[in-house]
Amino acid sequence: MTDRDKHTKTEQINHGRRDVLRTAAVLGVGAVAAPYLIRTARAQAADLGAYTSAKINWRQAEGEQITVGVIPAGYFDNLVSLSQEFEALTGIKVRFEKIPPGQVRQKAMLDLSSKTGTYATVATDCMYYPLYAVNKWVEPLDTYLNDTSLTDPSWFQYNDIHKAWRDANTVDGKPYAIPYDGEMTVQVYRKDLYDAKGLKPAETLEQFVENAKALHDPSNRLWGAALRGFAGAGQNMYIYPSIFRSYGGNWMSGDKIQVNSKEATDSLDWYVDTLTKYAPQAVRNWNWPDIADAFAQGTLGAYIDAHSSAAVLNNSEKSKVIGKIGFARWPKGPAGKRVTSIWNWGFPINAALSPKAKQATWMFISWAAAAETQARTSWKFAGPVKRSGLNRLSIWKSPEFGKLLDASGYNFGEASLQSLELDTDVDWRPRVPQWPALGEAMATGIQAALVGQKKSKEALDEAQARIDAIMKG
Amino acid sequence: MKRSGIATASLLGVAGVFLTLWTFPVLWALLTSFKSERDVLAYPPTLIFTPTLGNYRDVLFGATTILPNLISSFVVATFTTVLTMLLAIPAAYALARLNLPGKRAGGFYILATQMLPPVGLIIPYFLFLQKIGWLDSYKGMTLIYLTFSLPFAIWLLVSYFEDIPREMEEAALIDRAGRMRAFLYVVLPQVRGGIAVTVIFVFLNAWNEFLFAVVLGGNNVRQVTVAMFNFISVEQTLWAKLAAAAIVTMAPVILLGLFAQRHIVKGLTVGAVKGGGRR
Repeated sequence: MTDRDKHTKTEQINHGRRDVLRTAAVLGVGAVAAPYLIRTARAQAADLGAYTSAKINWRQAEGEQITVGVIPAGYFDNLVSLSQEFEALTGIKVRFEKIPPGQVRQKAMLDLSSKTGTYATVATDCMYYPLYAVNKWVEPLDTYLNDTSLTDPSWFQYNDIHKAWRDANTVDGKPYAIPYDGEMTVQVYRKDLYDAKGLKPAETLEQFVENAKALHDPSNRLWGAALRGFAGAGQNMYIYPSIFRSYGGNWMSGDKIQVNSKEATDSLDWYVDTLTKYAPQAVRNWNWPDIADAFAQGTLGAYIDAHSSAAVLNNSEKSKVIGKIGFARWPKGPAGKRVTSIWNWGFPINAALSPKAKQATWMFISWAAAAETQARTSWKFAGPVKRSGLNRLSIWKSPEFGKLLDASGYNFGEASLQSLELDTDVDWRPRVPQWPALGEAMATGIQAALVGQKKSKEALDEAQARIDAIMKG
Repeated sequence: MKRSGIATASLLGVAGVFLTLWTFPVLWALLTSFKSERDVLAYPPTLIFTPTLGNYRDVLFGATTILPNLISSFVVATFTTVLTMLLAIPAAYALARLNLPGKRAGGFYILATQMLPPVGLIIPYFLFLQKIGWLDSYKGMTLIYLTFSLPFAIWLLVSYFEDIPREMEEAALIDRAGRMRAFLYVVLPQVRGGIAVTVIFVFLNAWNEFLFAVVLGGNNVRQVTVAMFNFISVEQTLWAKLAAAAIVTMAPVILLGLFAQRHIVKGLTVGAVKGGGRR
């Protein structure tokens, strides 16, 4: 048992309010962090020793200027705040542009497809690399990783980055982006209510429903469970794939995408039944912030979603359930496996850049994904927001980061880490270039079933027909 | 008399329903903007709560200030409105009054440009601005906004100019005023209401525009409609701050509307007295 494990076992049960309030501050969201960010940047700018120990010339692209697209989020704000440090290290000027999450993909694709080279790199959803790779819009990064003038392998430790995230950013054996931040889905439940009823966090999907049934009391504004219901490739198609895969479903049948198999119908039936019986009616239109808000208000018994939602649950400005939260891994499906999400924001290199700008962009990516920067934007960060979606296993297993995680609620660190190590599945969603259209077709079908317009089989047959047309091109 | 009373009451009732439907979201946003994030999520929704100005303080002067973005929006909307009106007024007058070759086809073309869905224009606009180096700049954004505001303004103003009796200009021309003087001193005062309406619509369209702003803008020109998305992140939605930002963003447009209202009413009155110009 590691130090962190011991810490987890002995201390996590009795979190005091002070602990969790502190957590709210540390894992909380970043809208209020800017004054700290500036001070932090100044405080940390001078300390470059951790980087200069790498056997590469960090200043090989000195004088270049690159633009990096990110979304407004605390985990990127921390990185932005350290940009002075990157500039001091490399002599490369970096300009960050914050793009709303709903538009970041369109804007990136517009830039990439028109080869204008406006952005050196844009934080990218791992589902988009097959499309980018097939169009040669982004650079394969194996050459950058294997070039010792660009990467010191013993310093960068690429294999320390979570395998599932590396795999998710890999197409035909070549990595196309280096993960910067990510998440996994975990079970979140009201530990106080579970304890009062003698319930245990669900080991199986069946138990998840039983627990929901035991707590379900809408007349007293408590619903048993909730899952994202909102239609979208990143909404209901973020949750459904885990259920589908844990029912033993496969996206591919030969070389054809198949979404209307028996496992698909059974898993959608489970999704529909669970939400129909035990979730608030509006859940069909809820994305994860709505679910996290409802849980924070004490109206949900449990939900399954991104581990990063712990930040909202521990935000003292909003939450009424601080100190009453427990975490567990995804329940097993009938196929006997648990399947968490594989999500990460990675940084690719725009293929339309000049060779020198590509070099500068690689320097930026190496810096952002480096263990030291990961730590400096998390538990070493002087500001109030500390990231929890770090890309490196070694950091996840470090006592400092473990302490940070454990303060978020009962079993948070262990459930998240086990989920990341044991429950990831690179085929969680179908990784094909047509994903954007395919994801939307599936999302529309799932929602039709969730709102009761169609039976699961009918909705999936229609989705199959649309997907067949999409794949034919 | 009694029947008339009932009819009036019914009419007022219907008007009241519509007014409530329209004002409810605005009043709700106003109320939300004074709440803490916890009060926003309270159920049942609370009408009695301890109001806070913290949200306004944050969106105006805090870490998430939208002041620079309000300035960006104001600059783009103002330039767009001024340039649009400078070009649209003579163009609309020419289309309404002069016997130009291809006038009918030109008029239809102007209307047709309004039929293109903006999303279909994004890629050519992006490439065009990128080529000339005007992406993420005030001049680039104003130029793109002119492409939709100018046809709209011309199309709207033509009808106002057509409503002015030709006799009034002819009288001025007989008095040797010349076309320009007749235009400036006789025609323009008659369409003051129409100009005010057009200014409001053009400014509003530019102020509220999001699609072009998010794609063609960037760090230099980041309009308030884009900046407001900072409150809807992948991490959470900060409803109270979003509401405060929405109220702050509405304020300049409301002020403009109130100012222009006087001219719209005057325009109406002038038209009625003269008997010809309806607006």
